[in-house]
Amino acid sequence: MRMKKTLQLATILSAGLMMQQPLYAAESSERFVFVGYGDVKYESADVAGTDAFSARFVPIFLFSLNDKMHVEAELEVGLNADGETVTELEYADIHYFLNDNTTITAGKFLLPFGQFSANWHPSWINRSIWTPGIYGAHGSSQAMDPILPILSDVGVAAQQVYQVGSAKVFLDVFMTNGPRSEAEYDEEGVVDDHDIALARLISPTASIDPDADEHGEAFPEVEFEATNSDNNSNKAFGGRIAVALLPSIEIGTSYYQGAYDENGQLDIKANGVDINLISTHAILRGEYIRTETDAFVEKDYEDVIDSFSRNGWFLQGTFFIGHLFDGLGSTEIVIEHAQTKKVEEAERWMVGVNYWLDPRSVIKVGYEDTDVVDGPDDKRFAVQFSYGF
Amino acid sequence: MMKNQLTVTIFVLFSTLLTSLQVSSTELLSGAELINNNCARCHNSRPIQEFSKSEWKVIMPHMREKAHLKGAEVQAILEFMEIATTPAQAMNVKEVVNIAADPKEVLTRYGCQGCHQVQGAGGTLGPSLDNVISEKGRAFFLRKVKEPQFNNASSAMPQMPITDEELEALAEFLSSK
Ligand code: HEC
Ligand code: HEC
Repeated sequence: MRMKKTLQLATILSAGLMMQQPLYAAESSERFVFVGYGDVKYESADVAGTDAFSARFVPIFLFSLNDKMHVEAELEVGLNADGETVTELEYADIHYFLNDNTTITAGKFLLPFGQFSANWHPSWINRSIWTPGIYGAHGSSQAMDPILPILSDVGVAAQQVYQVGSAKVFLDVFMTNGPRSEAEYDEEGVVDDHDIALARLISPTASIDPDADEHGEAFPEVEFEATNSDNNSNKAFGGRIAVALLPSIEIGTSYYQGAYDENGQLDIKANGVDINLISTHAILRGEYIRTETDAFVEKDYEDVIDSFSRNGWFLQGTFFIGHLFDGLGSTEIVIEHAQTKKVEEAERWMVGVNYWLDPRSVIKVGYEDTDVVDGPDDKRFAVQFSYGF
Repeated sequence: MMKNQLTVTIFVLFSTLLTSLQVSSTELLSGAELINNNCARCHNSRPIQEFSKSEWKVIMPHMREKAHLKGAEVQAILEFMEIATTPAQAMNVKEVVNIAADPKEVLTRYGCQGCHQVQGAGGTLGPSLDNVISEKGRAFFLRKVKEPQFNNASSAMPQMPITDEELEALAEFLSSK
């Protein structure tokens, strides 16, 4: 059935391809656009005792093949701790606009789970210098252990948009290769520290200190980084439904489920709720995520499947104080609070001031204070200059 | 595998349900209103003059998927972008030589009410225009419309090829209330 569905989608896509005129017929200037963003950051972190500049360049390539097809790819180019250039393929996908309100996407894409992964993480969009605690990101070394990484995977997705009265309803579903067990990944010897930080879902005290877990079992670590293969025949799937009263409110709820072990017996499930409130003086954003990760535990000398749950949330308020006081121009204040619970509990406050040079270039100054329940606390100060182009 | 079947089924059910709920004759909003409603949701709204018409044609499909826009909405936005950045003379809309422009037509043509309220009707991306002249002066108004970013670097207001006659007519209209 799954194969069938995938085939159907593939057929729709290729049928679409064949119906189109030759690609070279389009005027070249109307086909390709090179956009993207970049940033430079100075960060001083208390616990690590580090004090460093870092820079990234994130080119985006957009191709409009014709009215129905659009190709997009984003690379993230940065440096790792050893000074080597690291390139990540953030996404590379094709959108097929099936009809007025349906879009099919195939390739590697940012999953429509919550809003941070797909919509808010680019540094010229994110009002904070850091990811909001419950999400991890490329090279982030935050003290708070994220609940999920920024989700990007290989597969297919479908999106529909509806007008229901004065509200809009957004419906997204996806099916992708899904996660793997991190231990298995380690054995392949291809993982480096950077990847672990990026992909780590859960690195609870249990795996560091085996005695901490009453079952004596290590808490499962799940690896999310996308590959062009799948370790089991089960695809991960999920989606998001959101209601929007534009221009001011969007509320969504998301689901994700995928088997991560080779036999497809152990699942990771995630639920999320996201909110985005926009007014002329402030923006309020937040997400709540809850995960349940299966693992084998020993009970009466037998391995049985048990699940471990974790949850976390963040709420971020951005206040356009520049609108209120003449002379402050386009200055805004950002306040964010994040918490993770159950395993690796932590709490984080962040405050920042952003000064916009134009609608897509910003200088952010921020301070964050993380309180980790079983581990060292952290305090950071950073200045970031970010630009979209 | 059962689960995959389930997702597909749920998706199909939901889309059928939602399709049946859709109001049959949804009136399409103007391009400016669509920008007002959609383009400041995730990031600062980007001024139209930042990209050329052909660049927008390639960028908009990228945003169509992100912002969950319908095809017809993308079309309306692109049309507004074109009108708002093409001088009236070049558009052949109307002879503007020495004839005072109709302020209401100017408001419509440049979609001012897509983003601003005028006499209680319009969008909210920008402030209401009813008292802008009495509060900030005529000179401020004239300059603001010609160079929207002069006092606010991150302003989303597009720079439009509005003619002096059109601008005068608007200023007259907005200060007469
Ligand atoms: C749901 C969130 C969302 C909405 C709504 C949205 N954008 Fe974007 N926009 C993004 C993201 C995310 C990027 C960064 C591109 C990336 O990383 O893929 C972006 C990038 C852009 C860029 C930079 C060029 C590019 O393609 O990267 C432009 C221009 C832009 N958006 C215009 C618009 C316009 C016009 C609208 C209204 C129709 C709009 N956006 C609505 C999320 C959004
Ligand atoms: C795409 C949306 C958009 C359109 C269309 C638009 N504006 Fe604006 N405008 C804004 C935004 C956003 C602001 C507030 C930010 C700023 O100060 O620039 C603004 C600010 C203004 C201001 C300053 C108000 C104040 O109190 O400081 C004036 C005057 C103005 N616009 C006039 C116009 C006129 C006249 C038109 C039509 C010819 C127009 N705008 C079309 C978005 C728009």
